[in-house]
Amino acid sequence: MNRRTLLRGSGVFLALPWLESAHGKAPPPRRFVAMTLGLGLLSENLNPKKAGRDYEPSRYLTPLGDLRKQITVVSGASHPGVTGGHRAEASILTAKNMGGSSGARNSISLDQYMAKYQGIQTRFPSLVLGSSGANSPSYTESGAMIPAESSPSRLFTRLFVDDTADQRKLQTQRIQQGRSIMDLVQDDSKRLMGELGTGDRDRLDAYFTSVRDLENRMAETEGWANRPKPTIDAAPPVDNGNSNDFISRQRLMSKMVALALKTDSTRFITYHLGGSGGVIPIEGVSEGYHGLSHHGLDPDKLAQLALVETEIIKAWGDFLRDLAAVDEHGVSLLDSTAVLLTSNLGNASSHNNKNMPILLAGGRFKHGQHLAFDQENNYPLPKIFVSLLQRQGLETNRFAGTKGTCAGLELV
Amino acid sequence: MATLLILTLWAAQTVKEPTGIRAFLDSHCVDCHEGPEPDGGLDMKKLRGDLGNAESTARWIRIFDRVERGEMPPRHEERPPLAASRAFIRSTGDWLRAAERQRFQTLGRVRARRLTNLQLERTLHDVLGVDIPLAVHFSAAPRSHRYSTVADGQPMSRYQLEQHLTVVDLALDEAFRRALGPEDVFSKHLTAEALSRTDAKKRTREPEMLDGRGVVWSSGLEFYGRIPATTASEDGWYRVTVRASALKSPENHGVWCTIRRGHCVSGSPQFGWVGAFEARTEPREWTFETWLPRGEMIEIRPGDVTLRRGTFKGGQVGTGEGGPQDVPGIAIEWIKMERFHRGPGAAEIRRQLIGEDIRGLMTRFAERAFRRPVTNREVDPYVQLVEEALDRGEPRLTALRGGYRAILCSPRFLYFYEQPGVLDDHAVASRLSYFLWNRMPDAELLRLAAAGEMKKPQVLRAQVKRMLADARGKEFVRDFSSEWLDLNLIDFTEPDRRLYKTFDVVVQNAMLDETHAYLQAMLDGNLSVTHVIASNFTFLNSRLSRFYDLQGAANASNNDELRRVKLDPGSRRGGLLAQGAILKVTANGTTTSPVIRGVWVSERLLGEEVPPPPQNVAAIEPDIRGAKSIRDMLDKHRSVSSCASCHVKIDPPGFALENFDPAGRWRDQYGEIAVDASYTLPDGTAFKDVDGFRSRVLAQPEKLARNVAQQLLVYGTGAPIGFSDRQVVASIAKGARGSKYGFASLVEGVVTSERFLQK
Repeated sequence: MNRRTLLRGSGVFLALPWLESAHGKAPPPRRFVAMTLGLGLLSENLNPKKAGRDYEPSRYLTPLGDLRKQITVVSGASHPGVTGGHRAEASILTAKNMGGSSGARNSISLDQYMAKYQGIQTRFPSLVLGSSGANSPSYTESGAMIPAESSPSRLFTRLFVDDTADQRKLQTQRIQQGRSIMDLVQDDSKRLMGELGTGDRDRLDAYFTSVRDLENRMAETEGWANRPKPTIDAAPPVDNGNSNDFISRQRLMSKMVALALKTDSTRFITYHLGGSGGVIPIEGVSEGYHGLSHHGLDPDKLAQLALVETEIIKAWGDFLRDLAAVDEHGVSLLDSTAVLLTSNLGNASSHNNKNMPILLAGGRFKHGQHLAFDQENNYPLPKIFVSLLQRQGLETNRFAGTKGTCAGLELV
Repeated sequence: MATLLILTLWAAQTVKEPTGIRAFLDSHCVDCHEGPEPDGGLDMKKLRGDLGNAESTARWIRIFDRVERGEMPPRHEERPPLAASRAFIRSTGDWLRAAERQRFQTLGRVRARRLTNLQLERTLHDVLGVDIPLAVHFSAAPRSHRYSTVADGQPMSRYQLEQHLTVVDLALDEAFRRALGPEDVFSKHLTAEALSRTDAKKRTREPEMLDGRGVVWSSGLEFYGRIPATTASEDGWYRVTVRASALKSPENHGVWCTIRRGHCVSGSPQFGWVGAFEARTEPREWTFETWLPRGEMIEIRPGDVTLRRGTFKGGQVGTGEGGPQDVPGIAIEWIKMERFHRGPGAAEIRRQLIGEDIRGLMTRFAERAFRRPVTNREVDPYVQLVEEALDRGEPRLTALRGGYRAILCSPRFLYFYEQPGVLDDHAVASRLSYFLWNRMPDAELLRLAAAGEMKKPQVLRAQVKRMLADARGKEFVRDFSSEWLDLNLIDFTEPDRRLYKTFDVVVQNAMLDETHAYLQAMLDGNLSVTHVIASNFTFLNSRLSRFYDLQGAANASNNDELRRVKLDPGSRRGGLLAQGAILKVTANGTTTSPVIRGVWVSERLLGEEVPPPPQNVAAIEPDIRGAKSIRDMLDKHRSVSSCASCHVKIDPPGFALENFDPAGRWRDQYGEIAVDASYTLPDGTAFKDVDGFRSRVLAQPEKLARNVAQQLLVYGTGAPIGFSDRQVVASIAKGARGSKYGFASLVEGVVTSERFLQK
């Protein structure tokens, strides 16, 4: 573990009970997974009519009946002041408005905030995944988007396929050399900032910071390079070449997410399910997914969109069941993993960023309820983020300028 | 902290709000734009009188634009006297320009721009002499203001840097492999027997022997036509020559075939595109160049969806099962494969990278990598790094490699070196080189820079001509249009096969070729930018003219080579506007939307930026079943005043293109309902269809020229069009009047403009 990285976390206190014991007595580590949808979910099919614990399951929640006690549905919440329709994809986990003037710079996303303090325990501080393309909801402190890995097979190789001894040796040598190069480049960046004037300074400063962060990361990696990767009894996945096959891709990548958590390869994962343009191969669906999301209240489009979204929720449910089936010293993997499913779009047809769809599962919250907030005057979603941070053991009381935890969302 | 920095940078402004403009706002605007709920969310009383931040500057520009276009105050309100409006426009415009100029002077219009993924790939190729694909190892970069070259949108974090280092290592490994190893030599001649299935009795997906040729029948079977004997044992560039003819060819055309590469097994189903050809009864040879990673093979098969297909049981084809089905096929006589390299040979790579004189090697390498002369002081740390490694006993090659690796991670390699004010000669050479080639300046540009000649207008013009005529210059229209026209998104959706039955991957690639060839012809012939909207020619091969159903053109394009074809006088296919690639990237594969196409055409081809729709306005989508027509829905939409100001721009091109379906074919009907592509503008003028729309747009050729100049300027300099840039753009367009707004003249105009020569 790198001391410098640990110390960077000033202002937040670390609670690392599981570090103290490798004998199985300590509770399993806490994890967080965010799955983010680019095209929202139809609220009338998602949110139950009734608030509280004795709600009637909605159309989308019906197939998740067995998971009811593991899920909280939240309606009437969103990020305060966040606008911009599709552009608010960048805000899903940062709560920072990116929809206004073009000069806005994003801030750190929830997963990266957690990984910053707790990511050093595992081979990968975090994983940033996507169904297609590099778009992700994960942002660094300096506001740069972390590109998503969209190939399950490449991810599998990174997680589980060991390099040969020669490769490892070369790897170690290159990491060591890389660290002295990063030192040298830091000095060069400073000199260059002096030469190019104040206009370029903030961007060169971002470069300078990247170099420093990479050097730290290399120091962390050095220790892992010689340790064998976890062995698992799963065959390497085959990437699905059909970019329209949204659901199959979701299922395949979700399997990888579960494997990464099971093997404690990482504890923080985001998986972005961006909207594909094409027709998803589902019986009864004949129009492109993106087109359907702009349903304009056309009943036929709404019906087709509901078919698509039902499959998305079903696949999500199967992922939760996968986690629930893993037992770590008497605690299920779902109990140690908080799983958030949400989207920047509360209404994709009108590109509205209010009333975001929110499902929260696992992580030992008192679930089994529908937290219904005001549809007109939305509840701040960052409060749920604060609850999630505290669930991780991070003693902070605010996220992105919002203070306090989510009312009604209690820890077990 | 970075945000703070930006604020302080903006706060350096001292240009004062001119007197008199408040009086104009007070007497003509505040009635509606004041109080707790002002119209459009704009409260004039709260508007700050300094241009010290981006927000208030954007507000003032918006006010300027609305008044200048006569949109504000609105028609139904009392209009200000003409002289008052003019005075307001003049002083506000001068003020906005002065403030921006001052900011550009001290800070630069373009700040810390870095090389794009493509530019990094080509620069590493140039610096190291290697030719392996590198850009694919980067995550797709975001585009800001349409272009990945724009500095504002270029991300940098340790993730980007980590990928950069990975790519640098790949390139260095390849360079040292080439420098130290023997030359890569590989050549193989495959007879029909060698490329066909080894056991004629087995049912497989390889070609079958028939009359001394390897035969593949038309079929929908996956991987049918794969040729295991072509499997590459090393990653590399290969030249593949195929001699083949058609079997049972349809009467009026040949058998279009695809060549693809891949592992061709269900465990790894993805394909790379190599090319297409039209086989005829007479055998012919075709040559293709492709990157072939180790383990991948070539697949050749009939690839035209309009061909009749054979059916084969159990996912395999038995010898002799295809013949009796009487479907078309391809008969291959032989295939030749040779490995080749682009760029210098091994000896030259070795000479550049390996030697005894460490300082000399590092200095020469750094000068190339940094695209400018370097001082001893700048190279010292790199030399030291190598020497320290040698002192530690590291092998010489490892130590040298470390030095190069460090140079390639320096911000001087990754970023453009541009100092505030007028750029120095080397910065101009780099800017020009990356604009036209997306690669580093060559020896001649560096020589001109060293001689202090680079900024002379006649030198710049001559260089533009030389660079575009050079083989490297042939990438220009391809690179530029991939972002300007979104052609890199052509794969994003696949037209629904059930609805658009004649569209296939051969057609898609022909469409791209058509648009590229057309833009190249515009550049080579310095043709007017009006060709964006209309022309009497295009480029077709036989597959594309059949897809477009252009009977007249079919004779002129009767084979698989793309040819310049004169269009019939009545044809609606003229201009970029009506090319398949454009029509496809502006549709979603299933339906078209006048809104989406309208916004696209406005912004890309007409140069009118359309702001995003206001929040909480319900989106409108087409309804192809016609229960309610999009026209009715949009009419309702336009009656709302906050919608109308933009839809008056969006709707005309959107409706004009309704006669083109999502796959790019002409249509008169959506199923049962007739297409209505007509439109009536608020001033009462109307057009009937796309030709009527064309006439309207062609009446203002200088506007089209301003758009192209603007796109080129953003792409070439890496900054969006600022308020004061508008005048520069207008003068570039005006300067091209003599050539009737020739495309090449506009490129030259951009390069010789003051904006191109300033940071």
